[in-house]
Amino acid sequence: MLSRDFIGFSLSSVMAHRTRSILTTMGIAVGIAAVVLLTSIGEGVNRFVLAEFTQFGTNIVAINPGKVTTFGAPTGVFNTVRPLSLEDSDALNKIPYVTSVVPVVQGNAEVEGQGRTRRTMVYGVGSQFPGAFKFGVAAGGFLPDDDPRAPRAYAVLGSKLKNELFGEANALGERIRVGGDRYRVVGYMQSKGQVLGFDLDDTVYIPAARALDLFGREGLMEIDVLYAEGAPAEEVVAGVNRVLISRHGGEDFTVTTQQQMLDVLGSVLGVLTFAVGALGGISLLVGGVGILTIMIIAVRERTSEIGLLRALGATRQQILRVFLGEAVILSALGGLMGLALGIGGAWLLHFLIPAMPVHTPVSYILMAEAMAVVIGLAAGVTPARRAAAMEPLEALRAE
Amino acid sequence: MRPGDTARFAAQSLIRARGRTLLMLLAMSIGVSAVVILTGLGEGARRFVTGEFASLGTNLVIVMPGRSETTGGAAALMAGETPRDLTVDDYLALTRNPLVSLAAPVMVGAAGAARGRLEREISVVGTTSEFLKIRHLSMDRGKFLPSGDPSRAVNVCVIGEKIKQELFGKEQALGEWLRLGDRRFRVIGVLATGGRSIGVDIQELVVIPVASAQALFNSPGLFRILVEARSREVMPRLQDQIRSTIAERHQGEEDVTVVTQDAVLATFDNILQALTFTVGGIGAISLAVAGILIMNIMLVAVSQRTREIGLLKAVGATRAQVTTLFLSEAVLLALLGGLLGLFFGYLGTTAIHGVYPDMDSQAPLWAVLAAVGVSSLTGLVFGIMPARQAAALEPVEALNG
Amino acid sequence: MITLEGINRIFQVGDQQVHALDDINLTIQPGEYLSLMGPSGSGKSTLLNILGLLDKPTSGRYLLEGREITSLSDDEQATVRGEKIGFVFQFFHLVPRMSAFENVELPLVLAGMAPSVRRERVNVILEQLGLMDRAHHRPDQLSGGQRQRIAIARATIMKPSLLLADEPTGNLDSRSGTDVVEVLEKLNAGGITLVVVTHDGQVGKRAGRRLRMVDGAIVKDERG
Repeated sequence: MLSRDFIGFSLSSVMAHRTRSILTTMGIAVGIAAVVLLTSIGEGVNRFVLAEFTQFGTNIVAINPGKVTTFGAPTGVFNTVRPLSLEDSDALNKIPYVTSVVPVVQGNAEVEGQGRTRRTMVYGVGSQFPGAFKFGVAAGGFLPDDDPRAPRAYAVLGSKLKNELFGEANALGERIRVGGDRYRVVGYMQSKGQVLGFDLDDTVYIPAARALDLFGREGLMEIDVLYAEGAPAEEVVAGVNRVLISRHGGEDFTVTTQQQMLDVLGSVLGVLTFAVGALGGISLLVGGVGILTIMIIAVRERTSEIGLLRALGATRQQILRVFLGEAVILSALGGLMGLALGIGGAWLLHFLIPAMPVHTPVSYILMAEAMAVVIGLAAGVTPARRAAAMEPLEALRAE
Repeated sequence: MRPGDTARFAAQSLIRARGRTLLMLLAMSIGVSAVVILTGLGEGARRFVTGEFASLGTNLVIVMPGRSETTGGAAALMAGETPRDLTVDDYLALTRNPLVSLAAPVMVGAAGAARGRLEREISVVGTTSEFLKIRHLSMDRGKFLPSGDPSRAVNVCVIGEKIKQELFGKEQALGEWLRLGDRRFRVIGVLATGGRSIGVDIQELVVIPVASAQALFNSPGLFRILVEARSREVMPRLQDQIRSTIAERHQGEEDVTVVTQDAVLATFDNILQALTFTVGGIGAISLAVAGILIMNIMLVAVSQRTREIGLLKAVGATRAQVTTLFLSEAVLLALLGGLLGLFFGYLGTTAIHGVYPDMDSQAPLWAVLAAVGVSSLTGLVFGIMPARQAAALEPVEALNG
Repeated sequence: MITLEGINRIFQVGDQQVHALDDINLTIQPGEYLSLMGPSGSGKSTLLNILGLLDKPTSGRYLLEGREITSLSDDEQATVRGEKIGFVFQFFHLVPRMSAFENVELPLVLAGMAPSVRRERVNVILEQLGLMDRAHHRPDQLSGGQRQRIAIARATIMKPSLLLADEPTGNLDSRSGTDVVEVLEKLNAGGITLVVVTHDGQVGKRAGRRLRMVDGAIVKDERG
């Protein structure tokens, strides 16, 4: 029997019971739609989060004080007996491939300017910060490349803070107070928006050494090392380890490459997407039971047809294939319908709630359809075998 | 026709088509048990978290350094450093408030802990004797930190059970010396196990006096001040007073965030509740699929039982009676499937509870009622079309068909 | 072409054994026209089913064109049925959702023949039976006689050497019945071996060789 005849034969019986087939198909369709929609949301969130992270570039190595992340947060926020110093940061500049090194101290303080005050995030950073993190300066310049130990009291404002304090007026050259200390505004940044709930525009940037003073800290919270595009990350990490171990006499810091972080994040989000998809899969399971039921009924109803086919010379194998084919056609059609529903739903969701990131990769579409086919096969096996096992004579007699 | 007879009729025809009845029950019960188990998990997680918080005391007010205007309360947790530290003096000022029953300063950090040649990086908490009571901890051996002037550095420490195992093994730890950073501390107590609260494993903690921690980390700043109010009623008032006390001490600048345990709890509660709803809703999609299946099978049954319907009509059954007959069959199926699903769901949650005793994963009542309700409703809704089709058959045609 | 030696067929009905066929010995020559008559339960249908490989004898040998058939595997028997044997049933057994054309085509489809070859062969046979204008009707749009002629077309489309008909006229009025018998006889005249099981004496006596069965045994074997 030619394969297209198999399909034609199976299709003819699917078409013969239209209502029944449509309902069976719908069962699978709802399941596939649920899976596709849920994984689309999962994947959308996944991509959204990864994009948020990679907008700072991927060739970054972060160094934190302390060996383990004890409290689940960057250790730099907490106290440590082994601080990272500005000198450490300086020393890292000489490692091969390294293009810039940014010391980071982050905190929260009251900023005063033009008689207005506002509590905002304070970033104590180095002059190479905008280049390393792809932040653009809107006006003026960023912090100058002063002696890191005795920098001038210059400050750069985030766009929101600039608007809150100065409105449309020019802020360059104006004086402000950050936590009581006086600074001169030398520039302000382009808007960067919110990243994972943190408003990056409601900030003020000051030299790291001055931030250490302001917060009464001994050590930096983090040092970010940017290396040349395409340079081997392992060599940069090795260089960082070499320099810091020789300076500290031991490995009392943690080095994380951006790639490692993205990998961890990606795998966590991947698991989440999978789990959500699996929840949707429960409906698919129920849809599979639907196909099983309908196929069992079909085999029972068409017993005499099976007998006839056997009398006409059909082998058991051929009977098996005809009924399996029917089950697969039902599930595959259901799959296609579900894909349309799911993708449409994802699109609609994105349309109604633009903030909701959705994304349906082609591989998911193919996988969902393959899953539908597999379910059809699994559900069809029992009825099809039952059909194939029938004795021709008894089947013929059944009416 | 009497309701009892209708039910008997429906039950008979379901039993006659045993195979497909079982499959439909299976489909419906998968849906219902999915809802029960999933909401059970969500509810279990919620109870677990609520329980953890409750074990910390519900009258707790937490004072954190730093305050941000744009970002919400949760972000204050990440606010980082502030120009003016939250200090032990701030803490002492708060203890003088009559609304406060207990308060403890908390300083956290990481340091290398060493005993002989054994060394590992650990979390260090600097606090006072009140910490034990506020965090509802208990001692396994020895004593907790001594009470007294918190600004006096005493070189004693209390360690968690796991630290004890790793650094001392089976040896006696009490009275022994432990090196933290460049200082030595005498072990005066071991914390009891079983205390695991919100992210921090008590077993992997070393607790030292707050003044010793300040010296160890060379910083005066506290991470938190935990305050227990005399009663729930005074908490709002206490929150305001804490704010003003600190602002007074900080040259009028309100640079701390004061949250109540309840507020944090409510946030978690809301998130987990929403999660439970979502997950239950996803499970409920399968109920719809099961409903479609029931409709499909009932339609098949109507076409297969055309003769029977004709006969019923010939002996005087009205349209309404035939409709009721098929409808009750569908509802009976759905209801039985729902009950079966509840049973499976119960088995599932019990199994989960067996594997994770911490998870009290019991489906909330609303979810159980909703699952069974929705499944019966599904039977009713999806049974209408087949039932009406059956009722619409002409007796003569039906008899001949 | 057919030799049956010591064929027995015993059914188990409850705790009772029913001897449906009792030591049947029979030889059928190629091109013969046999009718098989006898009261209900005499075993004539059982014999036909064994000839058609739809049923297996409890004991005995069955040689079809010199080949031992009873020991063949299930699939081999299916192939023999497809290639060498055609069936005509009392209740036609047409697939209701398929057109007349598709029903006739079915054996060719099962044999894996290319569509273009199939179309030609089906058209030829429909032409011969005068059913060309009914080709795209479904069975429920055809009369009984037409249905049976479609079934005959289907039975012979593979050019089998043996055609088995089980009460072919049993469900037809007498005119259509005669019609159908004439078609079968025309096929027999073309060289096909024809075995007809019937209740109808008028139909039975037309055959060149007439067997009469009682209680599972052949009691009469007339020729001419």
